[in-house]
Amino acid sequence: MTEKLFRHIGKPVERKEDARLVTGKGRFSDDFRLAGQAHAAIVRSPHPHARIRGIETAEALSSPGVLLVLTGRDCLDDGLEPIPHNPVPSTKYDMKLTAPGGGVPFIGPHHLLPDDKVRHVGEAVAIVVAETQAQALDGAERVLVDYEILPHVIHSEDAIAAGAPAVWDEVPENAFVDTRFGDWKGTERAFEQATHVVSAKFHVNRVTAVPLEPRSALASFDVETGRYVLYAGSGGAVRQKRELSSVLGIDPSRLRVLSYDVGGNFGARNRVYVEFGLVLWASQKLGRPVKYTATRSEAFLTDYQGRDLVTTVELALDEDGRFLALRADNISNVGARCVSLSPLSKGSGLITGSYDIPVAALRARAVFTNTMCTQAYRSSGRPEVTYAIERLIEIAARRLGFDPLELRLRNLVPPEAMPYRNAVGSIYDSGEYEKNMDRALVIADWAGFEARRQAAAERGKLLGRGFANYVESSIGTPKERAEITVKPDGTIEVVIGTQPSGQGHETSFAQVVAEMLDAPVENVTIVLGDTDVVSVGGGSHSGRSMRHAGTVMAMASADLVAEARRRAAELFDAPEEDVSFEGGRLVLPGTNHAVDLFELARLTERDHGPLFAARTNEMHTPVFPNGAAACEVEIDPKTGLVEITRYASVDDVGRCINPLIVHGQTHGGIAQGVGQAMWEECHVEPSSGQPVSGSFMDYGMPRSDNMPSFICEIAEVISPTNPLGIKAGGEGGTTPALAVVTNAVIDALRDTGVEDLPMPLTPLTVWKAIRHGAGHTDEDTRTTS
Amino acid sequence: MIEVTLKVNGEEVTRSVDDRTLLVTFLRDELGLTGTHVGCDTTQCGACVTIVDGHTLKSCTALVASLDGAEVTTIEGLAPGEDTLHPVQAAFRTHHGLQCGFCTPGMIMTAVDMIRRHGSDLDETTVRHELEGNLCRCTGYHNIVKAILAAAREPAAAGTF
Ligand code: FES
Ligand code: FES
Repeated sequence: MTEKLFRHIGKPVERKEDARLVTGKGRFSDDFRLAGQAHAAIVRSPHPHARIRGIETAEALSSPGVLLVLTGRDCLDDGLEPIPHNPVPSTKYDMKLTAPGGGVPFIGPHHLLPDDKVRHVGEAVAIVVAETQAQALDGAERVLVDYEILPHVIHSEDAIAAGAPAVWDEVPENAFVDTRFGDWKGTERAFEQATHVVSAKFHVNRVTAVPLEPRSALASFDVETGRYVLYAGSGGAVRQKRELSSVLGIDPSRLRVLSYDVGGNFGARNRVYVEFGLVLWASQKLGRPVKYTATRSEAFLTDYQGRDLVTTVELALDEDGRFLALRADNISNVGARCVSLSPLSKGSGLITGSYDIPVAALRARAVFTNTMCTQAYRSSGRPEVTYAIERLIEIAARRLGFDPLELRLRNLVPPEAMPYRNAVGSIYDSGEYEKNMDRALVIADWAGFEARRQAAAERGKLLGRGFANYVESSIGTPKERAEITVKPDGTIEVVIGTQPSGQGHETSFAQVVAEMLDAPVENVTIVLGDTDVVSVGGGSHSGRSMRHAGTVMAMASADLVAEARRRAAELFDAPEEDVSFEGGRLVLPGTNHAVDLFELARLTERDHGPLFAARTNEMHTPVFPNGAAACEVEIDPKTGLVEITRYASVDDVGRCINPLIVHGQTHGGIAQGVGQAMWEECHVEPSSGQPVSGSFMDYGMPRSDNMPSFICEIAEVISPTNPLGIKAGGEGGTTPALAVVTNAVIDALRDTGVEDLPMPLTPLTVWKAIRHGAGHTDEDTRTTS
Repeated sequence: MIEVTLKVNGEEVTRSVDDRTLLVTFLRDELGLTGTHVGCDTTQCGACVTIVDGHTLKSCTALVASLDGAEVTTIEGLAPGEDTLHPVQAAFRTHHGLQCGFCTPGMIMTAVDMIRRHGSDLDETTVRHELEGNLCRCTGYHNIVKAILAAAREPAAAGTF
């Protein structure tokens, strides 16, 4: 595929979806309403851990307007199955996580409503359905749950300590995954021979995705056909259909899931939520549509959350600063039950980051606690391990007297080593890491820092700069299907199983098909989000969409052209090999026979049916997007307030289909990474087990006035793993941001002697560091805040 | 129940509503104007911003009963015609100022008001400061700020809604 052929790919085409979204005509889940719909409210646990002794529903049932109350007991009586989350990543390139001692991990069944215990604050224990939303809420207040309060555990390290309360009786020690990767003996030997060993321990804090649209679901049940319909925005309607029909114990063909405009996802919507199953079940019991829309408070409590990794890392270096070995011990807090092990698994494959480290060893554990479940959150697992290695390198440079950039340059994986197999077996497909690094430093004006630092100092401010490299992996569900139909009315319809939530698939996918079929982008319509139309689809996660969908659409387009040539040959009464496809037309060179695709579709429809091609493709080989980022922060030493004054990044996304969209993805990704480093935290008060970040008043968000404008560049090192050369965009903004910001803040505080500070870097944390210098500890912040 | 009459997007509507009905619920449920969104329960996110009697108002935080006789413009009433976008809507599209689009109606209504007040003098610092009550999780604000500044330079943008 040569560059000069591209007419649509690589162009900043304005988005097709915007026309409806800027005029208020989007179709978000809560925008749907059905005749006779009733409203649901959820009764939630106020305790982090308690046995359910009984639930009294009579008073609620007699409350005005209340139609139905269901509990965990009803769930068992009706034979509903737990949600089949299937949390262990399973492609042959995923790191294989096992139970302690090997075997399949116990994940804690996820029933729609529990009958035995509640295991985190906010866990749904009953659903109340009423004529109006207000009546449902009033009814929910009248459900009386008799709880026997049990001791709880919040932090992962506390959970694996001796004598900790067991979240599940089946796993008395709480650690349900314990796996070792890499070469432990070789690593040990390398550490023994090393001149220097540097180690550190970090907690990559718990955050939540905060899609701006709260999750919502509207279910209806048709008594006559026995079919269910669910309007619910998610990360992939096909998965919702499969898993929810399994919960209900029905054949998947009896459930239709519709997911149109989705107000943000970032991972949180990829897994099934209990409320989606609850409204389906309730609608069948009532014979009426039932709607549930979460409040923001419910979203903060019970959206699947992200990160929460404790990592202890050790680096062995020789006297020149060459990295000899890495050892890591990673503990993932999955919450009350295991919904996904993707973060732990993805991170495990990338512990050595962008560096050529000959040998490495990793112990990966996952533990249950009495907190909301965690799930893959933007760039699942990779910001965590990037933070670990990039912070560790910074600490090593400082302790051993190396220049931190020099230390990185000395150890980067060079382009000639590609494809490069890292010490835990991941094979990096391509990339020019040093070039990314050089370029990021140029666009960030790294060289001009000293002058800016002095200027800031004159204003009484502390200026600091931070840098980080990153490499990440994009694996994701391997299977995708595309169906392309050329219609006589001049349009091309493409059916595909990915699910956008702002990534602009209706535009970028149309660019790919328009390119292949040589048609205007406006004429290509992407159909998604209706399981009656879309049969197969891996959804959108792990940066998989463009690569998987792009590849299968390119293949289906080629099939379509082949079919068109066959039909044109018949039409022209000429041998098929003589017909060529040029400029969107089938032509017989040397004659005046020519017909465009749409006309051909019209002419041949009667004999051959619609001009159509379909292709299902499986692609297992992962790709490794990579890049570098730099930032500057200015700190007011009087208040500890940190302002980000500069942020630059270079991201190798492979082939870029639409730079307008890719840049937008990078910006949003940066904001989410910066947010985690600076403000965001799902803080749970350990002694009471109560989450304290329950609204936008107490969960710090990136806002227009605390974010800078960004300087971003796309590097396109074409991936050899797929025909279009795509890697992925969208997660790269987030991956290095936690480390970049932290490195910059520590740099600004260099005169205080502080070597490390925990995220989020709130003014209090920073102010204490300035006041107490290196004596400051994490403990300090927790006990006196 | 209480009877209210409002002028919404130029059309007079009279409805009898529950006393506790919020403006946003009235717009979405009574009038089917679902372009105005609800993103929070603490008046923080701005997804619900509408223009009421010439000023922006977070419609999640006003009882419709208190607005009898008011003139309300929502995102649906902004564009001058079926096929023409308001300059601020057009700028959001051109500069990729939206991704999922959930915050967008509130962002656009806020921007329209901002441009009306500041005109072409609007600068980045002011935009960032005044947009603080509108949250976006997708864009990192970069392209939203860019779109608003570009729209402010359009003579047609000021004073139209
Ligand atoms: S819904 Fe009105 S401010 Fe959030
Ligand atoms: S575009 Fe998604 S919240 Fe702003």
